Amino acid sequence: MDARTEGIERGRPRDHGHPEPRRRPSGEPPALPHELGRSGKFFLLLVLYFVIVITAFLVFPSLESVFERWDHTRQLWVTDLRTPGLTRVMLVINGLTSSWTIRVIRWSVILALVVFRRWRHLFVFLGALIVTEIVAYNASSIIARPRPLGIPILTGWQGYSMPSRPMASVAVSAVGAMYALIVAGKPRSIAKWVTGIILVILGFARVYLGVDHATDVVMGAVFGVAVGVASFRLFAPNDLFPVSYQRGKAAHLDVGGRRGEAIVTAIRDQLGLAVLDVKPVGLEASGGSTPLRIKIEATDEEPERYVFAKLYAKSHVRADRWYKLGRTILYGALEDEKPFQSVRRFVEYEDYTLRLLHDLGIPVPRPYGIVEITPEREYMIVMEFFEGAVEIGDADIDDGVIDQGLGMVRRMWDEGLAHRDVKPANLMVRDGELKVIDVFFVQVRPSPWRQAVDLANMMLVLALRSDAERVYAHALAYFSEDEIAEAFAAARGVASPTQLRNHLKQDGRDLLAEFRRMAPEREQVSIQRWSLRRVLLTIGVLFAAFFAMGLVISNWNAFA
Amino acid sequence: MRCQRSIGRVGAVALVLSALASCSARAGDATEANCPIEEGELFVLMAQSVPSATLIPCIEALPAGWTYGGSDVSNALARFWLDSDRGGLHAVEVSLTASCRITGAVDITNSTSEGGVRVYLDEFDLHPFSANKYFVFPGGCVTYRYRFGAGAEATLALEADEAVTFGLRTVLVRQVRDELGLTLCGAGAPPCLNGD
Repeated sequence: MDARTEGIERGRPRDHGHPEPRRRPSGEPPALPHELGRSGKFFLLLVLYFVIVITAFLVFPSLESVFERWDHTRQLWVTDLRTPGLTRVMLVINGLTSSWTIRVIRWSVILALVVFRRWRHLFVFLGALIVTEIVAYNASSIIARPRPLGIPILTGWQGYSMPSRPMASVAVSAVGAMYALIVAGKPRSIAKWVTGIILVILGFARVYLGVDHATDVVMGAVFGVAVGVASFRLFAPNDLFPVSYQRGKAAHLDVGGRRGEAIVTAIRDQLGLAVLDVKPVGLEASGGSTPLRIKIEATDEEPERYVFAKLYAKSHVRADRWYKLGRTILYGALEDEKPFQSVRRFVEYEDYTLRLLHDLGIPVPRPYGIVEITPEREYMIVMEFFEGAVEIGDADIDDGVIDQGLGMVRRMWDEGLAHRDVKPANLMVRDGELKVIDVFFVQVRPSPWRQAVDLANMMLVLALRSDAERVYAHALAYFSEDEIAEAFAAARGVASPTQLRNHLKQDGRDLLAEFRRMAPEREQVSIQRWSLRRVLLTIGVLFAAFFAMGLVISNWNAFA
Repeated sequence: MRCQRSIGRVGAVALVLSALASCSARAGDATEANCPIEEGELFVLMAQSVPSATLIPCIEALPAGWTYGGSDVSNALARFWLDSDRGGLHAVEVSLTASCRITGAVDITNSTSEGGVRVYLDEFDLHPFSANKYFVFPGGCVTYRYRFGAGAEATLALEADEAVTFGLRTVLVRQVRDELGLTLCGAGAPPCLNGD
């Protein structure tokens, strides 16, 4: 334990040269307050306006005539500008809302997403389109507002006018294209402005041509944008599924700008560490969080050094929930786990497992603590950074490393633990010492099957850098032959992490078969676990899928 | 009209989720195309669809075994259709257009025909029963398109004929003026503003 962490653990004042941690007094905003931007506030106001208008319409029909006349007056301001030349221009602009133009835009986006194999974005895009079309179609039938009265309508139309379905269609298609194809940051910012300007011009054209009321146009556009933005933010958030055209350059949470400043402030105030630099690291191997390497300022006693941190946001919790739902349906009680309800619980659990393993002497990073960035939305867990360590897949390993790996699993078995994510990316080697990282999946009192899988995965990882006979021989010093046989009877298919399965495929040797040949014969352990919960969940998901399909078929007119 | 609209809308909100699954109106007495035309929002839209039409079709009463199928209104064409337990889905479609192609159709107008409406029939077939019946009047044309399933009797067409009737566009024009203070542009209304 070094002087710095000793101070942290005992809660004593800092050594000279370190910033003092400070408690945030009541009323003071957190490091990164959760605030809606100006555009967000404006958008929320518009949504609120429409909710009020529709509610008022439905509950107080006498308001209809007042509203209709008010909208008519606004419309006359625009239609008074009609001239033959301007009308021709507006008809051309309105061509953007034709069903053929919208189809071309949508098919182009779909094709691009297929080419780039961005399946999640593709499904979210399709979902957003379906929801927009169905809801807009049914909402217009319920509201049943005629086309503008008192002025000639100069172009084609279909169905009731509120909300404007063509505007909703263009808006959701444009926003979908933007979120699915354009890289976050400046390019997307520019695209947002361009989309906004196009929607304003289109809306003006439709009001000018007398085909929609001003309110219909705004409502359609707001609705289309809202569905597009909400769909992508919920189901394909940029920090988890970034749009990128460079391999291995996933963006995750942006750690620059306000968030970068907040990270520096929060670490200084909450852990008493002066941050010099924050850099994303190892993003390719991390889907569940944004891993960061943070440079800490030198003090009187210590030179500059690094700590490792994992930034968690609400989107990570949602992704974890979907992941677990999928696993439960596919394999039953395979993981025997429940989804987390909040980011706070998420990060607290990892902090707990890290401290637990550290206390037991298992070589995990030393925990420094949890840092709050935005209450209930973003937290960071800070730990030791294994400087100079390399992933086991790139390291030369000797008998010592093999023994450490096997001994680590033995220790976890004896303590009633399972790591549950043993793979090359989570095993590091430094100066002949094996370290284990990423303990988020650690489980206390796991199923015997889960522990057995840990052993098999560890032996496979070690054999990838040596050979099966050698690892098997060493394993016999820690485990009985029956235990090894159980491990390889349990390690089937998805029981091994994807990265390990890929390494095994690339290796060419059938290490699994080699281990099974050496171990005593044992009947394979089924990975399928059936429970009432699994059956009900599966039925629920199937029902939802059929319902969605039925919804599309029943509302086929909405897509015409 | 306002009262019924209010009740209908509040009910629609309450049932919005179930309505999502099926957008078209179903069996029962009340449909969006029921007469009189001044009590339904659909007819204002139909009148806007074919501004020249002086008559608007509507459903007077659905005979037993017939249900309202749905509607589709766009500029220049407004239609609704009826399903029958014997004639099948979409057994009769009623459409309103500004004019009809009646070349080759047989004039079956009888002496009781009112308001200058002339009736024509073509594409007549008995097995299975199919026919087009055109009602041509000043500024518009209503087509009944019968397409019955195999085995359905031709007499079913008489039931459909009895179910559908016409309302005067001028009634709608007056109502829009009285209730909203606005003009329902087209036949029977004063000239609209900003016309090109």
